[in-house]
Amino acid sequence: MSTRSRLDPVTFEVLKNAFAAIVDQMAEQILRTCHSFVIYARDFSSALCDRDGNTIMQGSQDIAVHVGTLHLTAKAVLDQFKDDIQPGDVFAINDPYLGGTHFNDVRIVRPIFVGDELIALAQSNGHWADVGGTVPGSFDINAREHFGEGLRIPPIRIIDQGKLRRDLIKMISSNTRAPADVEGDCEAQLEATLVAERELHRLIGKYGKETILVGFEEVQDYVERLTRLRVAELPDGVWETEDYIDVDPNEGEGLVPIRVRLEIDGDTIKYDLSNSHKAVGSFLNAGFGASFSGIVGGTKTFFPDVPLNSGFYRVMEVNLGPEGSVVNAPWPIAVTGFCSGPYEKIMNALFELWSQIMPERAMACSFNLEYLLVGGRDARSEARPIFMWYDWMAGGWGGRNGKDGANATAPVFGAGLAVQPLEGQERLTPVLTSTHEILIDSGGPGQFRGGVGVRKGGRLTAVEGTVMSYSCDRARSITWGINGGLPSYPHGVWLRRGEEETFLGAAFSNVPVHTGDVFWRPSAGGGGFGDPLERDPERVKDDVVDEYVSVKRARLDYGVVLREVDRELAEYEVDAEATERERAEIRDQREKWLEEDPEAIAARYRAGELDMMDLVRRYGVILDWGPGELLPKTTVGFRAMLARRMVPHWRGEAAGAGTDGGREASAPAAR
Amino acid sequence: VARDAQTVVAVDVGGTFTDVCVMTRPSGSLNVAKVPTTADPIEGVLGGLTEAGVDLEHMALFCHGTTVATNALITRRLPASAMVTTRGFRDVIEIRRSTRDDLWDAYKDVAPPYIRRRDRLEVRERIDYAGQVLEPLDEDEARLAARLLKRRGVQAVAVCFINSYANPANERRMCEILAEELPDVAVSASSDVLPEIFEHERFSTTVTNAILGPLVGGYVRRLGGRLRDGGYRGDVLILHSGGGVMTDEAASRLAARLAGSGIAAGAVASREVARLCGYPNAIGLDMGGTSADISLVYEGEARITTDWFIEYGYPIRFPSIEVLTIGAGGGSIAWIDEAGSLRNGPQSAGADPGPACYGNQREQPTNTDANVVLGRLGETLVGGAMRLDRAAAEDAVRAGIAEPLAFSVEEAARAVIRVANANMADAVRLISLRRGYDPRDFALVVFGGAGPLHGADLARELSIPTVLVPPNPGIWSALGCLQVDIRHDLSVMLLGAASEVDPQEVEERFAELEQQAHELLGAEGIPEDGMRLERSIDMRYLGQWRSMTIPVGAPVTSLEPAIAEFHAEHERVHNYRRDDAPVEVYRLNLRALGAVDKAELPTYARDGKGLPAPRERRPVLFDAVESPVDTPVFDRSSLPAGAAFEGPAVIDQLDSTTVVPPGVRVEIDEWLNIRMTMPDVRSESA
Repeated sequence: MSTRSRLDPVTFEVLKNAFAAIVDQMAEQILRTCHSFVIYARDFSSALCDRDGNTIMQGSQDIAVHVGTLHLTAKAVLDQFKDDIQPGDVFAINDPYLGGTHFNDVRIVRPIFVGDELIALAQSNGHWADVGGTVPGSFDINAREHFGEGLRIPPIRIIDQGKLRRDLIKMISSNTRAPADVEGDCEAQLEATLVAERELHRLIGKYGKETILVGFEEVQDYVERLTRLRVAELPDGVWETEDYIDVDPNEGEGLVPIRVRLEIDGDTIKYDLSNSHKAVGSFLNAGFGASFSGIVGGTKTFFPDVPLNSGFYRVMEVNLGPEGSVVNAPWPIAVTGFCSGPYEKIMNALFELWSQIMPERAMACSFNLEYLLVGGRDARSEARPIFMWYDWMAGGWGGRNGKDGANATAPVFGAGLAVQPLEGQERLTPVLTSTHEILIDSGGPGQFRGGVGVRKGGRLTAVEGTVMSYSCDRARSITWGINGGLPSYPHGVWLRRGEEETFLGAAFSNVPVHTGDVFWRPSAGGGGFGDPLERDPERVKDDVVDEYVSVKRARLDYGVVLREVDRELAEYEVDAEATERERAEIRDQREKWLEEDPEAIAARYRAGELDMMDLVRRYGVILDWGPGELLPKTTVGFRAMLARRMVPHWRGEAAGAGTDGGREASAPAAR
Repeated sequence: VARDAQTVVAVDVGGTFTDVCVMTRPSGSLNVAKVPTTADPIEGVLGGLTEAGVDLEHMALFCHGTTVATNALITRRLPASAMVTTRGFRDVIEIRRSTRDDLWDAYKDVAPPYIRRRDRLEVRERIDYAGQVLEPLDEDEARLAARLLKRRGVQAVAVCFINSYANPANERRMCEILAEELPDVAVSASSDVLPEIFEHERFSTTVTNAILGPLVGGYVRRLGGRLRDGGYRGDVLILHSGGGVMTDEAASRLAARLAGSGIAAGAVASREVARLCGYPNAIGLDMGGTSADISLVYEGEARITTDWFIEYGYPIRFPSIEVLTIGAGGGSIAWIDEAGSLRNGPQSAGADPGPACYGNQREQPTNTDANVVLGRLGETLVGGAMRLDRAAAEDAVRAGIAEPLAFSVEEAARAVIRVANANMADAVRLISLRRGYDPRDFALVVFGGAGPLHGADLARELSIPTVLVPPNPGIWSALGCLQVDIRHDLSVMLLGAASEVDPQEVEERFAELEQQAHELLGAEGIPEDGMRLERSIDMRYLGQWRSMTIPVGAPVTSLEPAIAEFHAEHERVHNYRRDDAPVEVYRLNLRALGAVDKAELPTYARDGKGLPAPRERRPVLFDAVESPVDTPVFDRSSLPAGAAFEGPAVIDQLDSTTVVPPGVRVEIDEWLNIRMTMPDVRSESA
């Protein structure tokens, strides 16, 4: 990193902003012409990379899950084609084993030349709605290897010196369920990279090639310098924690740990994930690119104003450990579900660690990304066309230091990812939405409550040959609180056929469904921040008035006893005396509740005496929620987690505002 | 004002000032007044009219741009309001599309919805996507809800049912019940306000409309009453965000159209200057103290968008003039970030403490300070109302920029302005270049207090050959209100493959819209020959999410011409076409215009032969010249129509200063616009 700029300050600032304007223009172009509703919902990203593939600038509104991967796919193209890259060539790649994310994320990479000299690469990455495989939408939770998941595209040349290779495009689109949309998106992305090429040539015309090349380097140096300055001001130290995937089907029940060690050493951030669990027997694994993205995204949340490019990545030393783990899965292990699996866990683990270092930006765990897919034949018309009802929800974000968590918000995986309008879905698919509403009591209780989650339900009106798949997690590794805050609510899909109600869980694929079937699912709220018994009873009352919290759980979770004054006018009042008694009682009992016999608790759940929230928040007991069977190993793991994240704070043993979330957290040493 | 004269008056109420623009006919002479905006804006309006010497009995036309709606939304000073919606969907407006404005700052939240959860009531009813009633409105529940809202004393209710765009029956019945139980409460139904698919966008627009109704209705009624008390007998016309005006009656019914009214005025005003001067294409730059509003006019039409909001997360889907606002104004602060880069804005010194040269601080250099250091702004402004403290400006630029960068103060000031201009140029590119527009075909219209200081440099940066500075840049927005017609935007969803849509049905739907338009305009007293109806169809490639608006003639007998036009327009704007891909029809639009008497700007004979003597000469540093240039400073009022000269020059007037760099040709035209012609503007297209 050079510390002195070779450009004058005006040229530097102008070029920096111009590069940002280029990638934002690419984004505009995509939004105006794309076909995939997933792309339109902002699951895409744009980047300008230098001739070595390093990212110079990335779109300011890009989805989090792509950050930190665009340089890897640019480099993959350069590695494969080396000197065989000519003016007028354009490449495509979606390979998660070469630094991509999952097969749906198809990247179009256009090399930009001045004469015969390669100077940069423009990259447009978009989530195509389908790339083939056994499951509509190409999300097969049960896949163990990638072969059935979808079409793997290593770096390929789709435009050869100006000539579009239609045969190749056709081959790709013919392997998907929506060939016309795939071709339309390909065209939209090609055009976006052309916008970048045109704008870059304008800058070269004005400033000259050499200045632009220096600008490419200096914009990266600038971000590196800015980040290092900030990191150097932080205390040196080591922080550790772990978060969990629900289960590894290869091993039976039991939480699957992802372990993160963070070290601040001078002006460098070091991450070590090498003690994480081995790859699981489902598609909830991550390739190295996706894991790196989770690290970048988690870190960036604590440096929100720093622009993203390879300069940011240079501040971090990342050790994912040997290949074969859940965070470093090599070919051919299935990794499409990384976004519901390791990615979210890495981000939230980083939130917890950084919350200790920067308590003023602290945040508890946020709800886990979830995708529900219903696909088959639409029997509303004679033609019986293929339909895909492909749905993701908003949920709650973690409680914060001094502030409740954000209600019903896009997942941290992509805070710009828009939920779809159900009126559009009802037109295009035979799924009638019965409810799309905030789920009462879903926010993890805390002095500052987790944001509330959502509940969405529907009925299949006229379907044939239709299946349902769900890519989610945290039916067992429930979204957790910090600093004594409580967890929120288990994920999972419920299906009702006639009188029969089934819990399908938070990860399944290809479950046959029929006309008349009714289903619903919650999205979790965020975890709570701080001891809920410390929450101002007036704020609890306000939550009850707005039905974010029920009268019942105000008492159970917060120890706040409310009297109804006038229900029609939504008026309640706090019974201060009863509240004090209730809170004293909870304070006295709560550590014992976490040690009660789990089998007995499970039996009371089956008898209808206790509900899911009682089990998760009071007793720390995890069941297979449908039949109500105890998961003993999972419960042990979950209780240990609660003991770490809540109990010391209840006792007032944890130091300062930071939480002692780490297993072996060492006291940060001031530099 | 002579008793026999007629006046037309435009009043623009902004956050800080109320601008009153009075034109006396037949002479066309212009009189302006600027008074502080008051807590009740009506007092400011009337005060301004008095100050400008307006005789209400002889006022022929009163047009008004107002921030009343915008401010109410931002400050949340809203009446007690409620929503009635389909069971299971009361949180649509809280879940929104779930996105965050700031993707990375986890502590920056989207504003909460305008109606609290407790005031969002549900009733049983359901319509499906095809408009079939799956469940009729449960009238008992509906009546119960109405009575409950009455007990709660709400003043406005939004009725928002799922799929009501496809069949409004249940919503209408709900409205009837509300009217029976709460006869004095304003009710907005989503199928009325915006009969369009997509629940959050429709609900959000409807809620915004409902909550603004009592406020805007009360405001226009009180204003109209006060004006009529004073003897005014004409219509009170209010500018809406679509760049047309509406009568006070229509404004209380479609109150949300007034959100953004103030910003639209500037865009309309720049379109009119450009039109007068013979430029169908123009980029408008309205640069004030804290921000710059950029708009674009192509072939005489301001760019319209339905994708906008006052507060992030709460779309208002009425067609609105597209304006891009960036944090670049005279008061924007230049600073050096911790990694050593020279930044400009978005923080602003505002009016208090203001730029260093105002004399209240010496730490934070602003664009205005840099302009003072460079000599582009003088120490005394015309009128002498304010002195600018050059030493303070130099101190601020020295301490904030020059010393850290080891620059001279002058170099530093020049750097500050270059960065500010480059940021504005990036914003203009974002709104224009990607759309396939060539800047050489455009004129740049600069106004607002600070626009004319930056116009020429910006034009050079963007390769725009011509810059226009209207006669009164500081109050030019107000005049926009006097330049437009009554305008209603009507639409109806019509979804289907273009090849399969029955032209007969299209014609019938257009005919229904036209019937509605006639009724609306007729009720506003527009004679038949003053009505203009313009049809268009929104189309897209099947599978795309955004559509393009394709104008069509009447009657529609075939969709083939529209399809052909769509392919061509897609290629023009997006650079490619897909002839094999099926095209989809999305929506039919009708723009209904009712001609309003417009103000005509006075013209002056171009007999200005010789140049008047400059008020003074001073050294000025320009962008493209290394050392200071001895530069004449003219009073704008002394420059007659027809005057022509070559820069360098500085032209001062009460509300603005125009900078003319060396080599730039200046001409004062018959409307007293300053026209600058840029030398050697080259093509930028690669």
